Amino acid sequence: MSVTEQRALLGAGIDRVDGPVKVTGAAPYPSDVRYPDMAHAALVGSTVAAGRVSQIDSAAARAQPGVLMVITHENAPTLRPGAAPPFAGPTPPALQDDRVHHYGQYVAVVVANTPQQAASAARLVSVSYEPDEPLLAIDDARGELLRDPWGFDSQRGDVAAGMAAAEVRLEARFTTSENTNNPLGLFSTVAAWDGDTVIVHDVTQFTSNVQASIAKAFELPESAVRVIVPYVGGGFGAGLRVWPHTLLTVLAARLLRRPVKTVLTRPQMFTGVGHRANTVQTVKLGAMRDGELTAIDHESLQTVAVNDDNVEPVASGSASSYACANASTRDLQRRLNIPVPGSMRAPGEAQGNFALECALDELSYELGIDPLQLRLRNYAEVQPASGLPWSSKAQRECFAVGAERFGWFGRNPEVGSMQERGWRVGYGLAGAAYGWWQARTEARVTVYGDGSAFVRSAATDIGTGTYTVMKQLSAELLGLELRQVRFDLGDSDMPYSTQSGGSGLTGALGNAINVACNGLIEKLLALVADDDDSPLQGCSLEDVVARDGGIYRREHGGGAGSDAGEGYGEILARHGVADLTVDGESVPPDPGQTGMALTGAFGAKFVEVRVDPDLGLLRVARVTSVIDGGRILNEKLARSQILGATVGGIGQAIFEETVTDPGTGRIANATFGDYLVAVNADVPELDVVFVGEPDRNTPIGTKGIGEVGLVGTAAAIANAVYHATGKRLRSLPITLDQLM
Amino acid sequence: MARAPSNASAASSGPPRTSVDVAVNVNGDVELLRLDNRVTLLDALRDELGLTGTKKGCDQGACGACTVLLDGKRVLSCLTLAAQCDGREVTTVEGLMHDGTLHPVQEAFIRHDAFQCGYCTPGQVMSAVALLKEGRATSDEEIREFMSGNICRCGAYPNIVAAIREVAGNGGA
Repeated sequence: MSVTEQRALLGAGIDRVDGPVKVTGAAPYPSDVRYPDMAHAALVGSTVAAGRVSQIDSAAARAQPGVLMVITHENAPTLRPGAAPPFAGPTPPALQDDRVHHYGQYVAVVVANTPQQAASAARLVSVSYEPDEPLLAIDDARGELLRDPWGFDSQRGDVAAGMAAAEVRLEARFTTSENTNNPLGLFSTVAAWDGDTVIVHDVTQFTSNVQASIAKAFELPESAVRVIVPYVGGGFGAGLRVWPHTLLTVLAARLLRRPVKTVLTRPQMFTGVGHRANTVQTVKLGAMRDGELTAIDHESLQTVAVNDDNVEPVASGSASSYACANASTRDLQRRLNIPVPGSMRAPGEAQGNFALECALDELSYELGIDPLQLRLRNYAEVQPASGLPWSSKAQRECFAVGAERFGWFGRNPEVGSMQERGWRVGYGLAGAAYGWWQARTEARVTVYGDGSAFVRSAATDIGTGTYTVMKQLSAELLGLELRQVRFDLGDSDMPYSTQSGGSGLTGALGNAINVACNGLIEKLLALVADDDDSPLQGCSLEDVVARDGGIYRREHGGGAGSDAGEGYGEILARHGVADLTVDGESVPPDPGQTGMALTGAFGAKFVEVRVDPDLGLLRVARVTSVIDGGRILNEKLARSQILGATVGGIGQAIFEETVTDPGTGRIANATFGDYLVAVNADVPELDVVFVGEPDRNTPIGTKGIGEVGLVGTAAAIANAVYHATGKRLRSLPITLDQLM
Repeated sequence: MARAPSNASAASSGPPRTSVDVAVNVNGDVELLRLDNRVTLLDALRDELGLTGTKKGCDQGACGACTVLLDGKRVLSCLTLAAQCDGREVTTVEGLMHDGTLHPVQEAFIRHDAFQCGYCTPGQVMSAVALLKEGRATSDEEIREFMSGNICRCGAYPNIVAAIREVAGNGGA
């Protein structure tokens, strides 16, 4: 087992730098923002899922005390569509016509002096509809079927021949339910105009995209829009898009000429800010008796809204999970009258991995091969689709270390054989991976005469620890103490950042900071290029190292002057410069140049469940997660990412299901009382360990770890349930009625 | 035309009373408030008093983010009308620090990384403070059970348990 390389300030499990403001309630979230003279908006949602608004009467609402304005499609000005984020189309603006595409779609905005007045008056807006029959079921053939909607379908070898050659064949159908992101923070927007410029405090994972979208919608230059979100309040993907409530709040504030705040209700969080699409999947596997896979065929159908596009490859992950000469993956989408689906933590893999890893488990029992051995028998030493070497892969160690820590080989492989105090006990495992993603990002670094530095970017910290690890990384790259570095984010006036999503921000921003810090050192070396008083005269970047608050020559054999250097403050002072600022930009690595596959994180999940055979109760007793996340910048916070994602996976596996009323399209359980998520008592001690090496594709060597921890959790739980009970459950969530 | 008033509170023949005067002790200071009688304790704290540490996660009493202490007991401030708090004592997360020092529960939450996005954290901290006082933190199982009214969507539960276990082991708070 190898250990991830650590340098001085990195790797150490330092406490979260934003800890004190979060435990004291001082951290300002968008919903905490107040302006003098601020008005409050409440949104009215459609009570039908398809059709037209035939009449809308807001007279009673307008007559209520404190009501300032009611906006409907009849009086709303034209808004242009916003900007498109990486995995979706631009969200359609609201109130632009009388058409209704889904239940809960906003049909009116009521603005009043207080939130109570607005909410109360919103109930008095009378809306009549000409309803159409909504298309709501994933198997409703009347809904438009999109094949290969993003061009991600894959085909290698000859799947039919691989199936024909197989000694054992398996075909299984899996379904996963709709899940709702449900961050604890209610999505909120506060908009305050000053002439033709606007400041928007918005819950988002992507400030730069909100800025671009508002600029487009209102036909403004981007410089006229400033988006601020120092603390997000959770997102899990819901904050990757610009949702209608944001644009409507900006609109209301413009029309009213007053700051306006909108805070969504919890039920609106189910219809207005995305959700994980439900899927129906078929996996076919062919294998030889020794376990060698001869064919993998994975097809997935998921839902998508009639008026939106969402990129969520579910089946395509199966093309690169295991070595197999013949593989085919296909993704399909069905357009329905449903609220807009979007990304939710580990999109695509959360559903696709469940199907593939459960099918492999089923195959292992067919073959009489240990589930762990079956996976190792088909271990992908190179990227199976491209044939390129991985830039890092330690999944074999994930399995080995996990099996050891969990005690996998201590299990009795016979189904239903293990019991304790009346509970049936089962062990299950799953492999996990989360695909690589990165996008262009910028950072700015300034060094001051006192030797301190300020690093910033328009990124967000959704709770993953960006504030903390980027401060650590900056200090490391500049050779400064942590206390000498200030790091800031969450403001679109800072240099452009990609989203905090797709497990891509740490790589994108970390590498941008690396470029900026190197650029700063080069600029300082240029400053002293002709400086006879500088021990760094004539040095290039390769000759020096940043440490001890400045720049020093690398030690080459200990010769005279080889250890010489000087502090940032000395250089600046001697040249009469107060401070020096450099921007850096990261761009994704190009496999054509590196000769390596773009490689994300890997993992292995080991789960023990207990099932009460009489009552159907299912408890997760233990989970061991072993993760190859490349270079780990802060093990304490990295561990928290895996813990939290595992908890999300437990929720997906046994609790979470957004229920749509089949007749009306209404979300039938749109509250925290009815939509079950894992609570403290549902979660046991969780074991997390990291293995692997720094990734070779980028200088900082990280791989994204925000999502891989969820992947495989549901499959390992379902596989453990089979081991405990002999019940092969292929539909999520696994509920008590399925186990009785 | 009017019916005879049967008691003092129904004496008015004008429009129904829509505001209420409340004197409430918040973190040691008595606050005199005239409020729309629909205002919850949560909204009064946040919107009237500017104490935005207490969070709104559902406004339906189901997530625990708005947990505060009312006369020393945990309540969901979104299900408590401000009008019910006249003459009573409220403690919010802003009232936990003493002389600029964090409460032991707050310190333990930081040390154990018992939060991520931080939105549920004030409610988690208030529940933890109360259950320690109530002697309800004698085992991990008990901590998990009594902290289950506070949802953490980031999934920091194991670290929350570790933080509370540590404070309980040090003799509570």
